[in-house]
Amino acid sequence: MTLKTLTKPWEPMSYGFLDGSAKREIRRKMIKAIAVPGCQMPYASREVPMARGWGTGGLQVSLTLVNPSMRVKVIDQGADDSVNAASIRRFIARVAGTPTTMDTLDADLIQSRHRIPEEVLREDQVLVLQVPNPEPLRPVQPNMSIARQMHADADYGRMWLQLYEQIVRSGRVMQGASYPSLVHGRHVMTPSPIPRWDVPKLHMAKHLTILSAGREKRIFAVPPFTRVEPLVFSDVPYRVEEHAELTCHRSGTRGFFMNEIPQDNGTSTFEVSDSEWGVKSIRRRDGEDVALGETWYKNGKMSS
Amino acid sequence: MSVFPVPSAFETRSNATFDAIMWALARPGMTRDLPEEGMAQIVEALIDRECAVHCANPELANVARAAGALMVALDAADHVFVEDVPLALLDQLRCGSDLHPDDGATLIACADLSGGSRVRMTGPGVDGRVELLIGGLPADFWHRRARAMRYPMGFEILLVDGARILGVPRSTVVEVL
Repeated sequence: MTLKTLTKPWEPMSYGFLDGSAKREIRRKMIKAIAVPGCQMPYASREVPMARGWGTGGLQVSLTLVNPSMRVKVIDQGADDSVNAASIRRFIARVAGTPTTMDTLDADLIQSRHRIPEEVLREDQVLVLQVPNPEPLRPVQPNMSIARQMHADADYGRMWLQLYEQIVRSGRVMQGASYPSLVHGRHVMTPSPIPRWDVPKLHMAKHLTILSAGREKRIFAVPPFTRVEPLVFSDVPYRVEEHAELTCHRSGTRGFFMNEIPQDNGTSTFEVSDSEWGVKSIRRRDGEDVALGETWYKNGKMSS
Repeated sequence: MSVFPVPSAFETRSNATFDAIMWALARPGMTRDLPEEGMAQIVEALIDRECAVHCANPELANVARAAGALMVALDAADHVFVEDVPLALLDQLRCGSDLHPDDGATLIACADLSGGSRVRMTGPGVDGRVELLIGGLPADFWHRRARAMRYPMGFEILLVDGARILGVPRSTVVEVL
């Protein structure tokens, strides 16, 4: 063994920003995360040139997976053009030379904050979700060592108690986003702060979902065709947001998750949250030949 | 004008190798194509100084050692590279704990993915069920595997046949038909 065999040729920077050992560590943890769906796997969470809590976890997974032929889409709260999405997309394109897109149908890798696109994802697509708080037990057990033991014992009684108390106190489950969900009948996970509207899209989906929390240093995954069941009581059915009857005031599309825009006179108008779906609907309305994909929700109802 | 970093041959190969491994485990029962034949590329993609490796083949062991891995006994290894799997090996693999299922080992072995005994797989990543032929493994292999693991503890199996790879994560239930 010589020194030469132990070194690698000089490079101005590592492809995809992360160095080799960071990528290998994330790869090893992703293998375990896919093998035990919904179980939080600790990882080192290296520094990236972005503050923790702004999607560093998702970014590290994306940077590990990218290659020059992988087309990347980044969403922030449904929008491709918000600051967080635009800067992450530009960063990935700059350090990995990847083509980018805003169209869900064209994307190979979709990194998202807080939404899942309205169009059904295919079985060759990877969805990377940025997770601020990976621990669904935190509201009922702030000590993460005890919470880990509770996951090990599948001791989720207090989760049910929390939901029960919400129903007793308020008449309904108050959990809006990051609704706790049972994955593969074993581990309760937080699906990241996606609205309740989006949780059924993870159940028996065709695509692979990887959830990564950079600040909390946890990675977990939902493989394709895996059961993801929101925690509900048998007599209190799971309810998504009542957006089925709302119409987008810009694109006229109806029956999708909407952003509420308050007006001066006290009323509100609505705008479709998945910005690219809205853009494509407008272009289709204006007579352009735009491909609109199959959607999870049809006429405001989740199609199974 | 922007200049993009160009991936080296090493980076391209380990990226493609991991892509195959990831999808193999995400969709058990569907084989994936590795960029080239053999296990050395899997060492390149996954192994470095943080790993404890058990490797039967001395040539491959040198590759792992050059990557910085610690060479250890079977029951201490987090990555096990073997060509043939003796049945007793399955009982010695690390399975992690309920607290840390990620401490379970990854077994990389050779198998015949074009013929052999018929198995049926169910579980996450499988659309309903999938039936396929796997050969080159000792009789009773899948039964011993099931006995050695208690979910979420367990180990992952990557079966390599030339440039093809099949993943069997611990969540997959394998029935021999």
